[in-house]
This record gives sequence, C-alpha cells and structure tokens, in this order.
Amino acid sequence: MARLASPRYYLPVLLILLLFALPLFVKSPYYLHIMAMVLFWAYMATAWNIVGGFAGQLSLGHGAYVAAGAYTSSLLFAYLGISPWFGMFIGGLVAGLMGFLVGYPTLRLRGAYYALATVGFAEGFRVILTNTTHIGKWKTGGAEGFMIPLLGNAPQHMQFISKVPYYYLILVLFLILVLICRWIDGSKLGYYLTALREDEDAALALGINTARVKLVAATLSAFFAGVGGVFYAQLIRYLEPNAIAGPIMSNQIVFLAIVGGRGTVLGPALGGLVLTLIGEITRVVFNQIMGLHLFLYGLLVVLFVIFKPRGLIEFLEVLWNRLVNLLERREGKHAA
Amino acid sequence: MPHRALLELRNVTIKFGGLIAVNDLSFTVNEGEIVGLIGPNGAGKTTVFNLISGVYRPTKGEIYFNGENIVGLKPYQVCQKGIGRTFQLVKPFGNKTVLYNVMVGAFLHTNNTHVSREKALEVLKLVGLHHRKDMLAKNLTIVDRKKLEVAKALATEPKLLLLDEVLAGLNPAEVNEAIEVIKRIHRAGVTILLIEHVLKAAMALSQRVVVIDYGRKIAEGPPEEVTNNPEVIKAYLGERYGAARN
Amino acid sequence: MGLLSAVVNGILMGGIYGLLALGLTLIFGIMKIINFAHGAFLMVAMILSYWLWRIMGLDPYLSIVVIIPLMFVLGYLTQRYLIKPVLDAEKDVREPIGALLLTAGLSVAIENFVLMVFGADYLMAQTSYSGASINLSGLSISVPRLYAFIATLIVTVLFYQFLNKTELGRAMRATGQDRGVALLMGINVPKVYGIAFGIGTAIAGLTGIFLIPFYYAHPTVGEVFITKAFIIVVLGGLGSVPGALVGGLLIGLVESVAAQYMTATWTAILVYFAFLVFLLFRPSGLFGSRYEW
Ligand SMILES: Nc1ncnc2c1ncn2[C@@H]1O[C@H](COP(=O)(O)OP(=O)(O)OP(=O)(O)O)[C@@H](O)[C@H]1O
Ligand SMILES: [Mg+2]
Repeated sequence: MARLASPRYYLPVLLILLLFALPLFVKSPYYLHIMAMVLFWAYMATAWNIVGGFAGQLSLGHGAYVAAGAYTSSLLFAYLGISPWFGMFIGGLVAGLMGFLVGYPTLRLRGAYYALATVGFAEGFRVILTNTTHIGKWKTGGAEGFMIPLLGNAPQHMQFISKVPYYYLILVLFLILVLICRWIDGSKLGYYLTALREDEDAALALGINTARVKLVAATLSAFFAGVGGVFYAQLIRYLEPNAIAGPIMSNQIVFLAIVGGRGTVLGPALGGLVLTLIGEITRVVFNQIMGLHLFLYGLLVVLFVIFKPRGLIEFLEVLWNRLVNLLERREGKHAA
Repeated sequence: MPHRALLELRNVTIKFGGLIAVNDLSFTVNEGEIVGLIGPNGAGKTTVFNLISGVYRPTKGEIYFNGENIVGLKPYQVCQKGIGRTFQLVKPFGNKTVLYNVMVGAFLHTNNTHVSREKALEVLKLVGLHHRKDMLAKNLTIVDRKKLEVAKALATEPKLLLLDEVLAGLNPAEVNEAIEVIKRIHRAGVTILLIEHVLKAAMALSQRVVVIDYGRKIAEGPPEEVTNNPEVIKAYLGERYGAARN
Repeated sequence: MGLLSAVVNGILMGGIYGLLALGLTLIFGIMKIINFAHGAFLMVAMILSYWLWRIMGLDPYLSIVVIIPLMFVLGYLTQRYLIKPVLDAEKDVREPIGALLLTAGLSVAIENFVLMVFGADYLMAQTSYSGASINLSGLSISVPRLYAFIATLIVTVLFYQFLNKTELGRAMRATGQDRGVALLMGINVPKVYGIAFGIGTAIAGLTGIFLIPFYYAHPTVGEVFITKAFIIVVLGGLGSVPGALVGGLLIGLVESVAAQYMTATWTAILVYFAFLVFLLFRPSGLFGSRYEW
C-alpha cells in the first residue's frame, strides 16, 4: 500500500486508466481510428525494439513480419473460416518462425551487413507477395491486394462496426507488450541482450550463448510484429503488399523507434505516439500536401541521429523525474 | 598440495596464414597455482589465451581442462566449463553501470536478478570496486577499468582465471594494490594463469612461469630460475626487453 | 523478344545498374557507410534533368554540365554537415550504424520533399532519340540505353584510373583501407570523405541523367534502383569497382533473360536468394578479394 502511495507507482496507473477512459470522451470514429493507429505504431516500434534496440541488430525488414501475420490470419479467415482471434496466434507464430529463419543464417552478420540482409529478405518477400495471385485455390490478390471479407458486427471474428473495440484491443496488446519488454529489460535476457549489443566478444567471454540470445530476440520481435499485422489487417481490412510489406512500413517502424529512443523500454512507444500524432495533425491541417508527414519523419530521423541519438525518451525522463520529485516533496510536506 | 593438472596444453600450434603465432606449445597449470605466462611483444601470449578460451581453434594439438579436451568449444562454452578471462584491451559495457557489467557475468549461474546482484556486489567488494558500483563503465579510470574486467570474469565463478596484462599501464602504487587483489582472488580458491609485461610483478605473484618467444616455449620453472636462464635473458631480458626498458 | 535481344537489352540495362552501384560501392569502400539515400539522389538528378529539358529545352545529356557539379556539391555538403557529426560522435562505437540510419531518414525526407513539390507524376524527357533504335539484322538496340551503357564503361575506366593513378585517388584508397593509418600519413580524411561522398552522389546523378530519356521518373523511382544496387554491390563485393560493373551486368542479364523462361516471381526469388547466399557465405562477392581498396 505504501508503495502505491508513491507517484512512481500511481502515476503510471493513472496514465493507463486515462488511456482506458479515453473512449468515454472521444466518440468520433475518425478520432478513435487515429487513436488506434497511434497505439498500433507505438506497438510496432516497441516490437521492433526487441531486436533492433535491445539486441542492437538493425532490422530494416520488419514489414515482412507484419505482412506474414496479416496475410496468414486473413487467408485462414477467408478460406477456412478460422477466427482472427485464433489467427492472431497463428499469424504471430508464422511471423516468429520467419524471424527465426531470417535470424539463423544472419547470426554472423554485423552492422550494415545485417541491415542489408534484412532489406534483401523483405524486398524479396514483398516481390513474391506482389507477384503471387494464388496459393493453390486461394486467391491472394497479388499487387492488387487482398480484401478481408466483411461480416458486419462479428465480435467472434474480430470485426466490429464501432472503432472502440479496436482501440481497446490494440491498447491491451500494447500494454502487454510493454510489460513484456519491461520484464525483459530487468531480467537475465535483458542483461544478455545489452551485453551482446555493447560488445559481442565480451559477452561470449562471460558465458553468453550470443547466437541463442540473438535468435530469441529476432523470433520474439517478429512474433509480436506478426500479431500487430493481424490487428492491422482487421482494422484496415485491406492488405496491399507494397504498403504492408514494403520499405514504407519497414522504415516507418524503425524511424519511430529511433526518434523515440531505441534500446529503452518506453522510447519506441513514445516515438510512435509523438510521430504518429504529428503525422495525423499535419494530415488534417495540410490535407492537400502529399508526403508531408513522411518528409517530417525522415527529417526528424536525420535531426535526431545527429543531435539527440538517444531519442525523445531523454526529455521524457527529465520531465518524469521532475514531476515525481515535485509530487513526492508535496506529499512529504503533507505527512509532516 | 596435490599436483592435479587443471589445464594442460599439448603441442598446441596455430598458424595465421604463413605466421606461426603459437608453435608446438605444451604446459600445464595445476589446481591452486598462479602461473605466469611471459614473453616479449608479439610472442603469442594473447593468442594462447584466445586458444584456451575458444576464440581460435588450434591448427594442431589439444587443450585439456579438468581432464576434458576443450578444443572446438565456443568461447561461451569454455566459460561455462569454468574458465574466465580478461581482455588485454579491456571490454567494458561502456554505457552501463559497473554493477550492471558485473551482473552480466554473475547471471551465468542463476536466472534470478537478486541473486545475480548479490553475487556481483560480493565480487565488487573482493576486487575493491564496490564504491564505484553505480558509475558508468566508460567513465572509469584505467585501474578501475582493469578491476572491472577482472570482476566481470570473476562473477562467472571460474575455476581458472586468465588475466591478460591487468597490471599494464598502472603506476607503482596501483600495481601493488592490484597485486593484492589478485592474491585475494587466489586465496578465494581460484587458479590463475596470468600474462604480464611488468616482469617484477609477474615474478612476485607467480609460483611458476612459462616463457614463450615467437610462439615457442623457451623456458619454464620457478621465477628465480627462469630469470637466470641464458636463453630467456637473451630472448627477452637481454635484447628487446632491456632495450625497450632503458 | 528473342534470346539474343534479351541478352543485349539485359547487358545494356545492367550497365546502368552497374553505374549506380559504382557510386554506392565507392562510398562504402572508403567510408564504410551504406548510403541508403543513393537512390534518392538518383531520383533528384532525374527530376532536375527533366525540368531543365522541359523548361529550358536543355538536352538531358547537356544538363550533365550543370547537374553533375551540383550533385557533387550536394554530396559533399551532405557528408560535411550531416554525416560527419554522426561519424565523429560514433568514433568509439564498435558497430556504428548512425550514419546508415541517417541516410535512410534522408532518403525518405528527400523523396517526400520531391513528392510535395513536384507531385507524384511520372516524368520522362521525350527527346528526339528517346524512342530511337539501331537495327542490326533484326536485332533492335535502343539508342539511349546504348549511350548509357557507353557512359558506364567510360566512367568505370576513368574512375579506375583515377583511383590508381592520381594522388587523390591513392589517398582515397589508403583511407578506405585504414582510416587511422591514413591520418598518420597526413591524409586529410574528412576532405577525402567529402570528396568520396561527392563523387558517389555525382555518379548517382549521372545514372539518373542517362535514365531520364527512356525511363519514367517519380519520387520513389530510386527505391527500385537502390535495392538492385544493394544486390549488385554484394554480388560484386562491397567496395569493389570492377565488381560493381560485373554485378550490374549480371543482374541485368538475369532479369532480362530469366524473364524469357520464368515468371517475375521466380526471377525475384532467384535474385534475392543469390543475394542472401552471397551476403551470408561470401560477403567478399563473386570476384573481389575482401580488401579491394
Ligand atoms: N587473428 C590474427 N590474425 C593474424 N595474425 C595474428 C592474429 N592474432 C595475432 N596475430 C599475430 O600473432 C602474433 C602474436 O600476437 P599476440 O597478440 O598473441 O602477442 P602477445 O604476446 O600477446 O603480444 P603483446 O605483448 O604485444 O600483447 C603477432 O605477430 C600477431 O600479429
Ligand atoms: Mg597480448
């Protein structure tokens, strides 16, 4: 109980409650959709961060995992009637398997070589998706994309008329992922990932099976990216290979994490939150200008890499500590 | 003391292209000993450590640890067997605290963060780095970096500790302090094989020294004996070492 | 298209790929940076060349005189003001990837800036020779492609001579081999980096100019080419000058010839698979020794 009285504990709880309460105040489907997308990007950046931040392996091909999850669940749903609720796990597993299969041969690659390999893999996957119109009897749509059959309000198939359930779904997914990342960060796995990122030879000398640790990170990250892909598919209901598996998706995920602060638990989510909001605002304010939000993303990445390589999270940490200190001092006075 | 060989190198050779960096080298380290591995610059000392710890695989020969041939094991497996090592060019995890660095090592025998922390704190006390536990590793002074390097290795609870020039670059007062630390570690039951350039320190610490030159063993024995060996004087103390020192 | 025709066209297109890859491999060889903005620079040159032609009637090949110096300066400034600070800050990082991230961000910024300013239209300079072709007993060779191919050969040879015969070229190679030693030798490393990035960017620009008479430019046209350039430099050996040319020809050939026998999917799978296999098992590429520089 005493713990709960500290702002370090009740502030996050308040924040989470606020996130849950938001739909009580926001009724517009348009804004609810944007809120869901903000959380989706925060979720994706956090998922990427497991391999890109914690393990320090710069993956530029996460779009492939998003697509793997999205296509798996959507095809299973359209042709076998398997509910996306279940498809979410299968999609995640397929993506995770892909992450493992990409991770295994690339174990030896470092830095730029690893990044290039992930680009090559994802591009190859994207080209295959665009050129494949059928898998056996199943139509996949190829470059034209794939439409998910619309059932109206069908909660058992993760389809809702209202945007509110989507918002809650991604909120819960996001919170679960953040909790997992927090746990990783403070656990043996987190220490090992950090060691690997900082100096692989030193990590090996301390008895760390760095290959295994890398694979775990790659697989977990891809799994969560795949689960995110399933959510995306259900929200948008239309899969376009170039948008979902292409460099736009892959790069955007990385950019959010970089601007937010890669390698930290909350940085990537913060980046996703802030950048997506900026993007949406510019879209509303300058709705005529194509490309503005991506231009801003690119520019921000350049600026952050040069001037603030540790990301937005640094500002947030300062702010957070001030706030907590302020509240604690005030309470101290109260008690006295 | 029972003379049980903890580590044994048998005719170990490694070639890098045309260069034979270690040439038909054999020696043993018995349990409970402190053995010095000395030799002039480029003699192949660090390469011997890299061979033992699995970074390189010998072109020829075997390496036994606790009676088991460890050739072909990966570096992390060698560590898990009970051989800890330090790097001549220290490798701290710079952006993390001293405590964090050591905890990485301490996780080898536990999955529990609290247990790991306790173990790490204990090791930090042993090497005299406890007061720096919250400092970022990249901000440490040279002595403290060396101590951290030892602490990390020690946290993996090795039976055998390989120390690569941990005294190099320290001033005399620091050398004495570090020697005390090494003695303390030894008293705690750890067998030690150390590479030293600071010859006096190596002699003071080691019960036995192995001298190599051009990858070959040229002498072995108690320090006093070895320093009087004419070949050693010629290869090491006489020509290059003497010239470099004076 | 007959097989012979496919081979010829593949070789011509491959030459252009090779030219683009040459710039990429140069920057990597000297600076150890993978320039993800390379394709964006190509696109900028295409668009500039198009508008010079469109507004002033300047022949694309003549626009070289204007655009190449411009691209060089653009590259030089990019290195000086954007990349250098990052490289300096990451001096002690074991696997610096800041510069790579920066170029990736830069690429997206440039592409979308062009999109904002010029729109997403597909632009091509319809010159008198755009559709021209030479007929060799039934085999038709596109004239602008032929020019592009010849330019590639000339640039590669000139460039090779420059690297091996001139003082500056040697300084660049020395820097690529070992930055520390180069510093000790009294080489002005930041200047060499600037020039390398400038030349690399200029080569990307040149590729763009030779493309514009027969290839549509649009804001993301660079992405099509850069992925190929990545594949080529890996096949040819990252940092290898001859490797870039040979790798380019190879990819051009495979694309064009394989299209006769298999679907685009299988061609793509083949190419990307080859790329990954090389990256994994022979990062030095087909011919290059690991240290070509
Ligand atoms: N990976 C390698 N590839 C090629 N040559 C190597 C390699 N590692 C070491 N060498 C060479 O082997 C020889 C022995 O080097 P080593 O580092 O073992 O010497 P050392 O005795 O530790 O020297 P120092 O006292 O300077 O630390 C040197 O000539 C070195 O250049
Ligand atoms: Mg050495």
